[in-house]
Amino acid sequence: MAMILDCIHSFLVHPEKKHLDQQTPIRGTLVEHSGRLFGMLRDVFEKADRECTHDITFDAAPDGSQQNDFRDLMLAYLRHRSLDAGRTIGERLQRVTTNKSGLGLLFLLVGKDAAETKIVLSRFPADSGILAEEEAESLSVQFLEKVFMKSATAYKAAVYRGKTLDGDFWDGRAVDKQINSDVLAISNYWIKEFLSSDFRATSAQGTKRLATAILRATRQATTPEAKQSLVAAARLASGLQGKTTSIKDFCKRFNLSGATVEIVRAAVPNDTVFGERFRFSPSEFSKHIAFESVELDNGAILMAAASDFDTVFQHDVVDKQKQRVRYSTEGQVVDHKFRRSR
Amino acid sequence: MDDIEALYRQRHDSVLVPLAVRLESYLRDQLRSATRIDRVAARAKSVHRFVAKAKKQVADKPKYTHPLSQIQDQVGARVIVFYLQDVGVVSKMVDDYFRKIESRILVPESESEFGYFGKHFVLFFPSELFDAELPADNAPKFFELQIKTLYQHAWAEANHDLAYKPGEELTADQKRKIAFTAAQSWGADQIFSELFSQLSAGHVEAAAVEPTSPLASWRTTFCSPPRPG
Repeated sequence: MAMILDCIHSFLVHPEKKHLDQQTPIRGTLVEHSGRLFGMLRDVFEKADRECTHDITFDAAPDGSQQNDFRDLMLAYLRHRSLDAGRTIGERLQRVTTNKSGLGLLFLLVGKDAAETKIVLSRFPADSGILAEEEAESLSVQFLEKVFMKSATAYKAAVYRGKTLDGDFWDGRAVDKQINSDVLAISNYWIKEFLSSDFRATSAQGTKRLATAILRATRQATTPEAKQSLVAAARLASGLQGKTTSIKDFCKRFNLSGATVEIVRAAVPNDTVFGERFRFSPSEFSKHIAFESVELDNGAILMAAASDFDTVFQHDVVDKQKQRVRYSTEGQVVDHKFRRSR
Repeated sequence: MDDIEALYRQRHDSVLVPLAVRLESYLRDQLRSATRIDRVAARAKSVHRFVAKAKKQVADKPKYTHPLSQIQDQVGARVIVFYLQDVGVVSKMVDDYFRKIESRILVPESESEFGYFGKHFVLFFPSELFDAELPADNAPKFFELQIKTLYQHAWAEANHDLAYKPGEELTADQKRKIAFTAAQSWGADQIFSELFSQLSAGHVEAAAVEPTSPLASWRTTFCSPPRPG
């Protein structure tokens, strides 16, 4: 069954986080169901499930109760579908918008998809542009202010769906092209501050899944190249502190080969876990990948903290063709013991 | 309501029962590093109990308009720990490794009432539990998790068994007895908690020190001193 877009409201949202006591009144309008703008917005509505790649859930209230301020506004809008109910959502966005995020045009798109109600919230940032129009024998150019574009670098949207307003609409999907910005005010703006939400996978949960997948994949890998690339990626992982990633994104970020990615993919329970985003935690990662060990064919087993392995052991290639290597290290003996097993 | 019963029965048998088995195993794995866990269990809500809950009325109107979406304890899990401190330890692990929409400590409605419940969460099912054999589409989004001490668990189970007989109102004396058992369970947990803190901190000698806390005073007043020899 095709999706049906029933209702579109649009609001101009100013950056007024610094002026909470003196908010600019939000202007809004109902968008007509005809013309090219409607066609473009219908496209946004229909493609939202594919474009919004981050699984998110609403936060519980600070006292732990089952209530979320943004969800309440969204449900009120879904019940009334009025300009006034939509304006309260625009006002909330305005209260968290800084000058860094700037002026934006917020669209609220509501419709049906099969038996479910679907809502898409989409923010187009303002930009300036030039309008060029070819005439019969000339070209006219004109500077345009307040051009709102579906920016490839700053676009933000969220989509929620459910059968009932009384129990559903606790989770959804979002896209935020600036989620990994080093500026906290930008990276937290859309999902944390406006939507009052977080990734469906917690930081510890997602990081543990990644570490477990890397461990399993390293055991499963049969070629030295695959093992080495997984170990190298795990060593570099601490550089992702605070960034959002997924197991899939991690593999891409560290350029793992197609065959190695398949080994990692096989080490996770399903595609959802493979693609679910989370905020990386180095401390959680090191809980699960604490030590790195290398075993040589002469019976030697070398082991050190994963983060220090390369500095503890010097590594020289003795014969590249025969894959023979020499490891060396120097230090004071602080313990010496037998082990029951490896 | 017949429709709801049939729909739930179908969900119960094909989704909730296998999902509860997977959840129990997942919880055990996630909480493996917590040392003082007595047991972990998960179960699907029975058809009979679900239908009874779905039929509840508030002000002559059905409490649930969409029971299959609104009733959040279709799968319930329980973690029973030794001491009150362990409730905190396990709660922290739950906060870290699960996404929640509710987290609260269950307490009696007023100070003069007695009841002894524990910590309660409503959590999203983790994505790991689903696959082609058990797709997420047919499953509820949430499950309920309770973390209780052994005494909270024991009191709640006996209380549920004895104090909630349909059509039977407890007498004032019976209510006092239920309240007494709740207070005793509470007291036992407090004392085990104190002992655990003292012994794990290596302060065994603290037991001989003059008690100062209200609980310690209560113990001095009401507990018999240990017999010599």
